[in-house]
Amino acid sequence: MSAAFRIAREEWRLLWRDRVAVMGLVLLLMLTAMSAFTAWEQRQGADAERSRYQDQADHEFAAQPDRHPHRMVHYGQFAFRPVNPLASFDAGIDPYTGHTLYLEGHRQNSPNFGDVRQSSLMLRFGQLTPAFVLQVLAPLLLIFLGHASVARERESGTLRLLVTQGLQPGQLVAGKLLVLAGVAALALAPVVLTLLWIGTATSAPLSLALLLIGGYGIWLFLWAVTVVGISTLAARGRDALIVLLALWAVSVVLVPRLGADLVAWSQPLPTRFETDISVARDLAAMGDSHNPDDPYFNKFRKKVLTQYGVSRVEDLPVNYKGLLGMEGERLTSALFNRYADASFSAQEQQLRYVDAFSLVSPVIALRRVSMIASGTDLHSYRGFLEQAEQHRYQLIQELNRLQAEKLTYAGDRSSDNRIGREHWQDIADFRYAAEAPADTLRRALPMACVLLAWLASLVGLLVLVSRRLGRSTR
Amino acid sequence: MTWLAHEWRLLWRSRLAMAGLLLLLILSTLAVGSGLSEVSRQQQTIARLADLQRQELATQQPKLTHEGDAGTVAYYTFLGTWDEPSDAAFLALGLRDAAPYVLRVRALALQAQLHDGEVFNPELALAGRFDFAFVLVYLAPLILIALLYDLVSGERHAGRLATLLALPGAARGLWVRRAALRAALVFACLCLPMLGGALASGMSAATCAVVLVTVFTYVAFWSGLALIVATRGYSSIANATALMGCWAVLTLVLPTVGNAVLAQSVPVCQGVELMLAQRQAVHGAWDLPREDTMQQFFRTHPQWQHTAPLPAGFHWKWYYAFQQQGDESVAPQVAAYREGLLARQRWSKRLGWLLPGVGVQAILHRTAATDLLAQLSYQDAIAAFHAQLRTHYYPYLFNEIHFGADDFAQLPRFQPARADGVVPSVSLLALTLVAGLAAMLGMCAGRQTER
Repeated sequence: MSAAFRIAREEWRLLWRDRVAVMGLVLLLMLTAMSAFTAWEQRQGADAERSRYQDQADHEFAAQPDRHPHRMVHYGQFAFRPVNPLASFDAGIDPYTGHTLYLEGHRQNSPNFGDVRQSSLMLRFGQLTPAFVLQVLAPLLLIFLGHASVARERESGTLRLLVTQGLQPGQLVAGKLLVLAGVAALALAPVVLTLLWIGTATSAPLSLALLLIGGYGIWLFLWAVTVVGISTLAARGRDALIVLLALWAVSVVLVPRLGADLVAWSQPLPTRFETDISVARDLAAMGDSHNPDDPYFNKFRKKVLTQYGVSRVEDLPVNYKGLLGMEGERLTSALFNRYADASFSAQEQQLRYVDAFSLVSPVIALRRVSMIASGTDLHSYRGFLEQAEQHRYQLIQELNRLQAEKLTYAGDRSSDNRIGREHWQDIADFRYAAEAPADTLRRALPMACVLLAWLASLVGLLVLVSRRLGRSTR
Repeated sequence: MTWLAHEWRLLWRSRLAMAGLLLLLILSTLAVGSGLSEVSRQQQTIARLADLQRQELATQQPKLTHEGDAGTVAYYTFLGTWDEPSDAAFLALGLRDAAPYVLRVRALALQAQLHDGEVFNPELALAGRFDFAFVLVYLAPLILIALLYDLVSGERHAGRLATLLALPGAARGLWVRRAALRAALVFACLCLPMLGGALASGMSAATCAVVLVTVFTYVAFWSGLALIVATRGYSSIANATALMGCWAVLTLVLPTVGNAVLAQSVPVCQGVELMLAQRQAVHGAWDLPREDTMQQFFRTHPQWQHTAPLPAGFHWKWYYAFQQQGDESVAPQVAAYREGLLARQRWSKRLGWLLPGVGVQAILHRTAATDLLAQLSYQDAIAAFHAQLRTHYYPYLFNEIHFGADDFAQLPRFQPARADGVVPSVSLLALTLVAGLAAMLGMCAGRQTER
């Protein structure tokens, strides 16, 4: 048996005898299990509720009476954002975004009823998910269990003794690291089981569950390396503890907030109020379909008339009002999409600035990987909004087409002119399609690389530090 | 008072302690500065939008009043409302990042407009704001723990403990004095930047006093707890472990668990139901007999009962009548939704009576008027303004009066309600009790080590 393993066995025995250490680990495991259970319950509840509401909204749409199609354009439809199964691992931004989107003609609405506006201030303390436990609390446990691992040997003089007996300092450090990595693995074990179960038993892809396991594995190993490294450097266990706690407080508690706040402050977003006014101005500049002398819509009418080879809109084989509605919707939607794209680009730019802080604190890289894999990051939210917008556009244009084809120009005088209710039943319901796992993995790659770089440099530092340990005992 | 000079000399020589205090001073200054700049940015936004709104109305006015039809004006005219940050808002920015503080409304059904969200980056909001409340609740206890955990064990480690305890008289209350000095310095590091910010923002003396008392009690709570642990006679490491454990449980674990329990036990799905029901009510009205709608409307608005009957075809007064009825028909859902929100608010306040960190957050956010209640009162102000807007248009619609440029100039303007002067006395009292208990136990524990 190698020396490192013997060291590890002794250290393990010591930890096992320490009641506080065992209790800490048990508490952490209980908290992980509890968080996994409640988060899964909540996810199931939220998902069931949203699909129930989606069904209700779909049903209500299909059950509308005979109507003028344009009334249906205003009646609109709802889209509910389904919850990703992996969101029970990391809820990410889900509670901060609305999940209920009202789709109607001429407008792009904002998703409403996000938890953040409904939950007093409690949400700001964090959400009880396995991600929270592993990101924030597990490193603390590793710090408490491992801060004295090497420093203790030095403080009590056993280090010199061990080295004179021929033990390589590298072996000592490796043995201590082995034990702490073992504790980390133990802390991770229930999460690994849960994730594997979610990856195999639900619609969530296994590859993303494995990405999460890998990300959090690296995160905890990173802390094990740091703890052993500081313990090797420190003269006393006490000093190691203080330094490690300070490191933890700065990197896990302080930097993420400070970074996000700095970015929010230096890169402000325009308010909805301003955007709405800008949109209205651009729309007014574009033309007014109700104005018979409007240059843009005059040109459009001429184009339609030439296309059908007639001279008056009354002679068209289709209802010109429907065509006008389609053209108007096409223009306004393009405009709305331009503004929405600009807003999301600005937000993604903000996140790229936040990403830069991952060079100061690896938790930022971990959070990003975790949210991307769990489908609870800004990009996946944007995906939902864009799919819903696409659905809205198709729905409205389909209704405009019905107006163009099922109603005649002469007969389309008021909203009392109706078409049969059966037309509402053919219009497809909204179904959200999750991003392909390969794309998700690709998006997680940069921050995963940052995590790996952190790991590589910290392991490198540990090697240097353990060499120094050898020199200092000689 | 020679002991004070002596203790200060001791503390001054400890590089770690001075670095900790300096760090706290820098962080709380940063937090106050960033809070102030965020508040002034929000004020500038409100002012800029008010200008923009004026210009917008000025350009729209000729086109809208051209035909003199109040219905058209009411349909196309959005009016601005805003929620001015209070003088204390810089301390705790709360929900002001996620909920809108400017919102445009028009005379159509209110419930479809009231719940619109603001554009914000959720990934940034998720991290949480770096404001004074954060520094106080999370970071100040960490610094206090670092200053106090080895109060006794450090002396034992240095071999001075026996001598210190043997000193006649001088040792009486030694630990309490040392802890009090450190706590007072922590208090100063927190309050000096806060007072500077209060001066800059013109915060009232009463609000200032509430914040000072809150900071004082929270610092007293953690000092008391640290003293209790530090004087138990355990090793430095055991003390640090115990105190960090308390910190993690009180500010991270229990509030998070509390949030999960609260979300589970007080569901507020009525928001969605409210929206679904409102859509049915408003859009279903197109298919109902118009006279029925009018009769129902007259029941709540009898003053318009004897106006001209509805003509054939579309008429705006019918349109606005069913818009208002849409709001009235979902009144029970609105009440249930608000009741759900208020229940959550009440329970989190009660949780704050037990958990000082939650209590401090609740007190600061209430004082700063940036919490859920403030958001609801902004919604009330919008609703009141909306009602005013409706009643402004109704005479024109029902008496078929020409709506000209002069009438446009007479449109109501939003008047924000001042949200200052709230003193969360019950929460403050609960916090004082918990902190007082911790401080007293700490003092007793501190004195006992001498015997």
